Amino acid sequence: MNHEYFLAMSYGAAAVAIVAEIILLRVRRARALRRIEEERDLETQD
Amino acid sequence: MNWFYFASPATFYRLAGRIAPWFFVLAAIFAAAGLYVGFVVAPTDAQQGEVYRVIFIHVPAAWLSMFLYLVMAAYGAVSLSFNTRLAAMMARALAPTGALFTFIALWTGAFWGRPTWGTYWAWDARMTSELVLLFLYFGFIALANAFEDPRRGDRAAALLSLIGVVNLPIIYFSVQWWNTLHQGSSVSFKGTSMHIAMLQAMVLMALASWMYAAGMSFSRVRAIILERESRTHWVRALARPA
Repeated sequence: MNHEYFLAMSYGAAAVAIVAEIILLRVRRARALRRIEEERDLETQD
Repeated sequence: MNWFYFASPATFYRLAGRIAPWFFVLAAIFAAAGLYVGFVVAPTDAQQGEVYRVIFIHVPAAWLSMFLYLVMAAYGAVSLSFNTRLAAMMARALAPTGALFTFIALWTGAFWGRPTWGTYWAWDARMTSELVLLFLYFGFIALANAFEDPRRGDRAAALLSLIGVVNLPIIYFSVQWWNTLHQGSSVSFKGTSMHIAMLQAMVLMALASWMYAAGMSFSRVRAIILERESRTHWVRALARPA
């Protein structure tokens, strides 16, 4: 195996991990906001 | 300056929202500069050839994995001592990014080790203690979320983070205390044995990693504040109008 493989596996995995972290955080924030809206809507109905 | 003003989740939520994007911008600038210097300007290593360029991501990730743990434990100590909600939330916000950089350090280390040492992994003191750090991060995250009452989770996780601090000097000094496969530091306060362009690339990538981690932590603490303060009026007002 040449050096391109080891460099690609290192930088590629790091890039994938960072992108995954950003996406997961966006999903978490969207879920938190959705839950707040749902709770508020339920209280308004009550 | 009145620090208690910024200790309020409502104030800090807005402050973190204002500063986080700037950290991401700085991270992108430093990363672009670091990758350019690392791949275009820095010369080929006489012994390791091109594969040494893994250090531009491996070393900053390893530094940050330890630094973030230290900051997380410091927030844990503040949260335990003063019973502050925001400190506990910051500790929670730092843990996933710390775990991510520990994983990157271990993963890139494996892909540097294979061509240079002939193996992806060895149960050497530096690598094993770094793996223990990853498990400490996982333990912190699991413990923090294991309780129905988040304040109990905060306290248990803070205690674990403080106990785990003992692992940091073990990681740092392992290459001096034991005869390890992992080489000693190429950079210290006394100087460096590296080519100046290699050092510049490593410092730029370290700055990029620090900026990214700061941006992510501030962004994540905002999500945590939303989750934890969801019943307060100011959080309700943030969500779309009913």
